[in-house]
Amino acid sequence: MARGVPFPISRRLFACVFLILLSGAWDNAAPAQDAKLVIFAAASLKDALDEVNAAYQREKGQATTTSYAASSTLAKQLEAAAPADIFISADLDWMDYLAKRNLIKPETRANLLANRLVLIAPVNSPLNLAIGPNFPLAQALGNGRLAIADPNAVPAGRYGKAALGSLGAWSTVADRLAPAENVRATLALVSRGEAPLGIVYQTDADSDKAVKIIGTFPENTHPPIIYPIAVVAISTNPAVMGYLTYLKSPAARPIFEKHGFTFLQ
Amino acid sequence: MAELLHLSPEEATAVGLSLRVAFWAMTTSLIPGILLALALARGRFWGKSLLDGLVHLPLVMPPVVTGYVLLLLLGRKGPLGRFLDEHFGIVFAFRWTGAALACAVMGFPLMVRAIRLSIEAVDRRLEDAAATLGAAPVWVFLVITLPLALPGVIAGMILSFARSMGEFGATITFVSNIPGETQTLPSLIYTLTQVPGGDAGALRLTLISIAISMLALLVAEFLARRLARILPGT
Repeated sequence: MARGVPFPISRRLFACVFLILLSGAWDNAAPAQDAKLVIFAAASLKDALDEVNAAYQREKGQATTTSYAASSTLAKQLEAAAPADIFISADLDWMDYLAKRNLIKPETRANLLANRLVLIAPVNSPLNLAIGPNFPLAQALGNGRLAIADPNAVPAGRYGKAALGSLGAWSTVADRLAPAENVRATLALVSRGEAPLGIVYQTDADSDKAVKIIGTFPENTHPPIIYPIAVVAISTNPAVMGYLTYLKSPAARPIFEKHGFTFLQ
Repeated sequence: MAELLHLSPEEATAVGLSLRVAFWAMTTSLIPGILLALALARGRFWGKSLLDGLVHLPLVMPPVVTGYVLLLLLGRKGPLGRFLDEHFGIVFAFRWTGAALACAVMGFPLMVRAIRLSIEAVDRRLEDAAATLGAAPVWVFLVITLPLALPGVIAGMILSFARSMGEFGATITFVSNIPGETQTLPSLIYTLTQVPGGDAGALRLTLISIAISMLALLVAEFLARRLARILPGT
């Protein structure tokens, strides 16, 4: 410590650092105008919706922020009054769940997209399977596990369970599953080679070069994969109807179709 | 017991699995824990600080990071994982053994710390006295040092057990969340909180989790007091 200095350098330094850290606690609230649109969207929409939102921001100057997770998780959060403006689910059930509890604005509800369900394997896998009634899925798994989104709650898992059930293969693999939190986590399990096979949406399989599609589940083996969209009941953001219109417009269509979704509007 | 507590089969499985995983995590870390604690307490060798840091790493790293590192090394495609699978048929991925390994790694620093402190507190003159009476170093350790360090060993075991009961991040990252194999109590609570309608189950399991942890701590306290009465100089 230097003599004659009224306050030691170390104490000044400490005070500076402390103030800098303290400033982080200050709430810098953005002005109410131009508030970001908060979107809750199914995990499988990540790549496509990010692109649509970027285009929307460029064209209309409205910023958005999106939370991607399993539709069941998002429904749960919305039930707990999460401050979102828009909800896009991967199945009709979770949208119905919220509608029954008056958590969405029913007049804004619309079916936006459709998808297909596929069986995937790591890209170097030697496996060859034809999907049909009683197909040998358990044998193909060997001593590995079938990666699938949680079949009790997550839409991708529910569709998968329904499809395998229709084909008579569910009981053979029910105890050989590796349930994941959402469909993208399922994709990652197969992509990393941790699971020899997995069930995801066609759009997910197309987005990852480390996996390949072994087969596509026939549409009559599971409920139609429809993505409904709706405005959340507690939303007060004035930009929300404009966003909804944009998403249903021909401007958004090519982006969704490029990623493999079927545009239903 | 499960019916008494109104547990569903899924919940009962998770509780049983948690106890099993925590037990094996605790017992398999015991001998390495004692040896490392001895080395850190009494040893004087190059790289001692490095070893100390390495042992404490799981304590300060985010659990998810620890789980991810385990996944990279011991997953099906990891270097160690592939070696163990091909030569010994040992697989950790998606198995309760992987969950036990994750818990053991996370609880290890706590166990080593507790045992090390206890060993350091043992009076070296007692060890010297035993040595002058003709006991070999290994015998001195087993008959003098270890019994005197027992309160610390017990504390370390309970800490490791309790940490394993509560381990979530590393487990779910390393071996996912598979009912019956790796879906421990915390993992099931997490799953139930993500699913609408799962709150009742989550709450039930939370209470059970608290009860088990309290029980473990009370047992540790009881044992420590019994030992204090038996052992001299404590």
